[in-house]
Amino acid sequence: MREILKLSITLTFVGLVSAALLTGVNNITAPIIADRQEAEYREALELYFPEVANFESQRLEDDYFDLIFDSSDRQIGVMATIEQQGYDGTITYNLALDGEGKVVGMLIISHTETPGIGDVITTAEFQEQFIGKSFEDPLTPGEDVDTVSGATISSTAMVTSIRRVVNVVAENFLGYEAVAVDITAVPDGIYQGSAPGLAGPILVEVEVSGGLIIRIDVLDHDETPTYFIESYPLIPELIIAEQSFDVDTKTGATLSAKGIVEAVQAALAAALEANGGGE
Amino acid sequence: MKSNPTYLQEFTKGILKENPVLVTMLGMCPTLGVTAFIVNGMGMGLAAAAVLIASNLVISLLRSFIPPQVRIPCFIVVIATFVTIIEMALKAFQPVLYEALGVFVPLIVVNCIILGRAEAFASKNNPLRSVLDGAGSGIGFTLALLLLSSVREIIGQGTILGPDPDTVIHLFGANFEPMTLFAQPSGAFIALGLLLAGVNAVYKRFNIK
Repeated sequence: MREILKLSITLTFVGLVSAALLTGVNNITAPIIADRQEAEYREALELYFPEVANFESQRLEDDYFDLIFDSSDRQIGVMATIEQQGYDGTITYNLALDGEGKVVGMLIISHTETPGIGDVITTAEFQEQFIGKSFEDPLTPGEDVDTVSGATISSTAMVTSIRRVVNVVAENFLGYEAVAVDITAVPDGIYQGSAPGLAGPILVEVEVSGGLIIRIDVLDHDETPTYFIESYPLIPELIIAEQSFDVDTKTGATLSAKGIVEAVQAALAAALEANGGGE
Repeated sequence: MKSNPTYLQEFTKGILKENPVLVTMLGMCPTLGVTAFIVNGMGMGLAAAAVLIASNLVISLLRSFIPPQVRIPCFIVVIATFVTIIEMALKAFQPVLYEALGVFVPLIVVNCIILGRAEAFASKNNPLRSVLDGAGSGIGFTLALLLLSSVREIIGQGTILGPDPDTVIHLFGANFEPMTLFAQPSGAFIALGLLLAGVNAVYKRFNIK
């Protein structure tokens, strides 16, 4: 009994001394660490937004956004902090967008992609192709941006992620609404439209009859077949059942699902335009 | 019992005869993990050496106070305390190095060199000898990491003092195509194997045992 007590007291004592020491050191270093991180972030902000006066942080699902204001409280842009799954672990990066939703800069904060291969995403050559792109651009490999062969997964992950972020920012912080399509106004007929999925454009054919979508077929796509089956034919069925584009796209292939929805929207929007808004 | 080794011998044995990496093969995990760049290897070595010296000193001072039944938990707490202090200090004053070393900083806690020296040496010897032993082993570890990371960075990246773009020096000009294999984990094993072969040949030649 005495023995156990002695052992316990020794361990407790060692633990207490250790805890006291660590508390002391933490009190000294914690403010330095916080200051430094804020200073670094501010420096990055000033690089992309020279007239930044203050910013307001917002969180949307897993992404962090800072709305950037100048000295007269005008919103001049958005800085997004994004975590994206790469080839090997998480890629954390900043994407700076101006008031019109155009990319003004990107900065890879940390990544663990393969040295000499996947780390091509940190090169200026790879990053510069995104500058000036916005939600109005397709941001699709092979169209307006290039992925890097040999580092396909790392570079595709970045392209996909940037495309998602510019759209999220445009819709949530810059007031650009996705174009609303009134299905009932679309004249009967068969229409085609395309929109970017994960790996390339998805081409769909939509049949409209009596103001209702009655058939959606995917004619062409470059998606990964094993994942694509999670979204197709499920997503077209949902759109037809609900006669709405506001369907749950969180499937095993979310980006493909969104691509299908957007392609159908594009087809009907084009149909409306061609008919001058419908008779 | 043999006469005690001199203080100088306590210090030098960790560098040469009992070099933790090159001879006793301890601490292989950080050795392979952080040696892609010289700066990282050096930082890891110095961080581990600092912990080693501090924990050897404290454990030696406490050696009569700690009951043998609970010595391992006590050693671990002491080591973990110093590692956490080093981690917080690195984060505050050397954030670039802290990012580069990543998970290997907290893993210094379970670095077998440190627990090994605590158990085998510091718990049985006086504080001065323990500090010298810790300093020797720490410097030996740092030197081994420095050797390995030099080989890997020069061959695998063609640079020294990278990856920080402010200090990096490209040794072979812009057209040099580095052997990226050596920058990757598999290259670490190959480089370490070749290094050990070289070191063994040298030790044999000069009869160091």
